[in-house]
Amino acid sequence: MRGLIVTLHDDTPIPLAVDFTCAPGQMIALVGPSGSGKSTILRSIAGLYRPGRAHVRVDAEVWQDTASGTHVPTWQRRVGLVPQSYALFPHLTARANVEAALGDRDTAAAAKRADELLALVNLHGLENRRPAELSGGQQQRVAVARALAREPAVLLLDEPFSAVDKLTRGRLYQELAGMRARLAMPIVLVTHDLDEALILADSMCLLQRGRILQQGRPLDLVHRPSTLEAARLVGQRNIFPARVIGHDTTQSMTLLEWRERRLTAHHQPQWLAGTDVSWLVPPSRVLLHRRDRPSRGEAENPVTGTITSHVALGDTTISTVQLEGAEGRALTFHAPRHVAERNAIAVGVSVGLSILREAIHIMPAGTPMRK
Amino acid sequence: MDWVALTLSLKLALMTVLVLLPLGIVAGRWLAYRQFPGKAWVEAAVALPLVLPPTVLGYYLLVVFGAASPLGQLWQSMVGRQLVFSFEGLLIASVIFNIPFAIQPVQRSFETIPPEVREAAACCGMTPWQSLRRVELPLAWPGVLTAMVLSFAHTLGEFGIVLMVGGSIPGETRTIAISIYDRVQAFDDVSAAQMSAFLLALSLVAVALAFGFSRRIGRQFG
Amino acid sequence: MQMWLPHSAKKAFVRAFLAALFVWCAGAAYARASATPVIAVASDLQFAIVDVAEAFRKKTGSAVRLSFGSSGNFARQLRQGAPFELFLSADETYIDDLARDGVMRDPGRLYAIGRLALFVPKGSPLVSDSTLDDLAAALSDGRLKKFAIANPEHAPYGRRAEEALRHRGVWDAISGRLVLGENVSQAAQFATSGNVQAAILSYAHVLSPKIATLGSFALIPETWHRPIRQRMALTKTAGLVAEAFYTFAQTPAARAIFRAHGFALPDEATQ
Repeated sequence: MRGLIVTLHDDTPIPLAVDFTCAPGQMIALVGPSGSGKSTILRSIAGLYRPGRAHVRVDAEVWQDTASGTHVPTWQRRVGLVPQSYALFPHLTARANVEAALGDRDTAAAAKRADELLALVNLHGLENRRPAELSGGQQQRVAVARALAREPAVLLLDEPFSAVDKLTRGRLYQELAGMRARLAMPIVLVTHDLDEALILADSMCLLQRGRILQQGRPLDLVHRPSTLEAARLVGQRNIFPARVIGHDTTQSMTLLEWRERRLTAHHQPQWLAGTDVSWLVPPSRVLLHRRDRPSRGEAENPVTGTITSHVALGDTTISTVQLEGAEGRALTFHAPRHVAERNAIAVGVSVGLSILREAIHIMPAGTPMRK
Repeated sequence: MDWVALTLSLKLALMTVLVLLPLGIVAGRWLAYRQFPGKAWVEAAVALPLVLPPTVLGYYLLVVFGAASPLGQLWQSMVGRQLVFSFEGLLIASVIFNIPFAIQPVQRSFETIPPEVREAAACCGMTPWQSLRRVELPLAWPGVLTAMVLSFAHTLGEFGIVLMVGGSIPGETRTIAISIYDRVQAFDDVSAAQMSAFLLALSLVAVALAFGFSRRIGRQFG
Repeated sequence: MQMWLPHSAKKAFVRAFLAALFVWCAGAAYARASATPVIAVASDLQFAIVDVAEAFRKKTGSAVRLSFGSSGNFARQLRQGAPFELFLSADETYIDDLARDGVMRDPGRLYAIGRLALFVPKGSPLVSDSTLDDLAAALSDGRLKKFAIANPEHAPYGRRAEEALRHRGVWDAISGRLVLGENVSQAAQFATSGNVQAAILSYAHVLSPKIATLGSFALIPETWHRPIRQRMALTKTAGLVAEAFYTFAQTPAARAIFRAHGFALPDEATQ
C-alpha cells in the first residue's frame, strides 16, 4: 500500500494507542481535545518522539520500527512539518528559511526554487522579510513553503490555522484545498476544530487521551458516532438513554422506548430488542412545529415541552426544551431566526417538536449522564 | 611595565579561551537541551569554581598533579618537567577555574532557542552539525561571546591559584597579576601602578563587552 | 551593532584570526627562555640580589631570572619539584633539610649573615631604639595598635623577630596586635603603608633607599635571637649559568655588594 502507515503504542509518559493509514493525496484529520496526544503523534511520525512501540512507514520506506530496531533520524526523513508555532528561523529571511530545507543546491538555483515556493503560497514580494516582520498568516505560509521545499513524502500540519484570524483562515483553507490537488502526498492535519476537519479532511480520527475512539469519514463521525464518548467529543448534545423495543422490517423502523414515549428511528437491526442503548439526534434535525397550526398526527416523533433557554447566534437560534411530564435532560434544537421570531419563541413558551426519524442514531448505553 | 608578564598573561588567557570554546559550546548546549536525573548536581559542579576559594582549587591541584602524585610523576616522565610551576600547569588550573564562565552563558543562550526551531531544523534535513552551524550558533552567539570574554578577563585577573601552583617564575608562571604583587613588594610603585591601571582598563572593557553581548541573549530577533 | 557581514568575508576573517592565534600560542609555548635559570631568592635579598645579578651580567654577559618569596615557601615548592636551579635561603636549616633529603646537589655555602632592625615609619607615635623600651611602653599605653613582622611559620626573619620579641618579654603583649607578611618584603610593605605603627624587618630592607626615606630604624642586638645564617645551594637541575652565579656570589665583588646592603659576611673559617 502506498502512502502513510502509522502504528504507535506507549503507556508512559504519554499514553498512545493509535493505528491509521493515509493514502497519497488524501488528508486525514486528527481531532481531539488538548492533551489527547495529537501533536505527539505528529512528532512521532517526524521522528522527534519515540514511543515504546512504533511502526511508521511511508510508501516503501520504513522510518520507524521498534521490533527490528529501525529508526531513521528526523533529518533523513523526507517529512514536512508545520508546527503550531511555525518555528521559523528568526535570524533568516523568508527566502533563507525556505532555502534551508532545500539541501545543498547551488545558491542561485536554491534562491530561485525558494522564490517559486513562496509565490506558490502567495508570498511573492515578501521574500526578504524576517519572521518578525511578517504577520501570523504570512509566517504560517512561509512555514508551509519551507515544509514543501523538503519535497516531503508526508506533510504534517499541527493546528496550522489556530493562531490566524477568521478571514485569513478562510483563504488559507482554500489555498490548502487547492494545493492538495497538486500535492501527491498524504497529509496529516491536527486540529481541535471539528468544523475545520469537516471542511478539509477526507477521513478523521477522533482521539481521546492518546486513543483513537473512532475513525472514518468526518460526516459519519459527527452524525453517527459509534460510542457515547465519541458522541460527546464531536459535540452532540442530545444524547439520551433508551431501550430497544423491537424492529419493524416492513416499514424499516426501529422502535425505542424513551421516557415513557415511543420513538421510531430508522432501521438499525444490530440492536437486539430489550437492549439498553443511548441515542442521539443533532439539534438541527429537531424540527419546530408551527405554533399557529396544531400538530398533525403524522409528524415524526412528536413531543411537546416548555422552552427553558433561548439564545440567538447570528442567523440561528438555539433553544432547550424541558419535555412534558418527564424529568431528565432537556432537548436542544436549532431553528432559523426568522422561524423562531415568527413563532414567538421565548423562555416559558410551550412548543411542539418533531424528532426526525432518519436522524436518530443508536449507540451503546453508557454511564449515566449528568443532568 | 613587565612586558614578559603581560605577554604571558595574554597568552594564558587566549589559550584558556581556545581550550574552553569548544568545551563550552558542547557542554553548554548539552545542558541546555537535556533533562536527566542528577542534572542539578552537574550544574552545581559547573558552578563550583565560582564559590570555591582559589586556594582550595590550588590545594587540590597540588595534590592531584604535584610531584608526589602518580599523575605528576607520569607527566614528569613524559615531558621531563613538573606540571606544577609550569605554564601547562597554569593552563590546566585556568581552564578548570573558568568552567562556569565558559559554560553558563552558553547554556543560557542555547536555552533561549525554542525546541520547535531546533526540531524544524531537523525536519529541514539538517544534520545535528549543520543545525548547530546554521541555526543554533547564529542564535546563540551572544552567549558564546559573553563566555569567551568573561573567561579571558577572569584569566587575566587570576591570582590565588597562580600563587599556589605557579611559583612566580618569570616568563613561565609570573602573570601580570603576580608581577604587580611582586613589584609592590619590591617597592617599585611606578611599575605596579602602570600594570594595575592597564589591567583595570582591560577588565572594564571586557566586562562592558560581556554585558553588551549578554543583553542580546535571546532578544536580538524580536 | 551590525549583525551580519557577508558570510564569506566573515568566514575568511575568523579563519585567518584563529590560524594566527594558534601559531602565536604554539610558537610562544615552545620558545621559552629556557636557557636562563630561575633562582629562588629569600625576600630579604630583594634589593641586594638585584645588584649582584646586574654585576654578574656585566661580568659574564649571562642573565638570570629571580623569584622572591619566603624561604619556607621555596623549600616546600622545591620539594614539589619547582624548577629553580639555585636557592638563596635566609635560613640555613632549610638548606640542610633539603640537602639531607636529596633535593639539593650538596649542603651549599653560607653567603651572608643577616640582622634584624626595628622600623618606625614616619608619623608613628613610636620612636626607634635598640632596646625596644619605647615599644614596650607603647604596648601598655596604647600607642601601638598594629605591629608588622614576617610570618614566623615560614619566613626566617619572622621567626627571628619572634625570638627577639620573646627575649625582650613583650611577645605575649604584642602577639594579639601582629600583622603577618607572607615574607619580610610584604612585612616591609605593611610597615610603609601607614597602617602599622612599627615593624621588625631585615636590616637590608631598612637600609634600602626606598624604605630608608620612609621612617627611622634601630638595629636589634644580635644576641636576642639565633643568628640569621643565610645559606645557598644548587639544585639537582642546576645548569652552567646557575653554577657560575653560585660561584660569583662568593667572590669579593659580590660580598662587597652584600656588605653594602647591611649583611655581615661569613669568615672563610665558618663555612
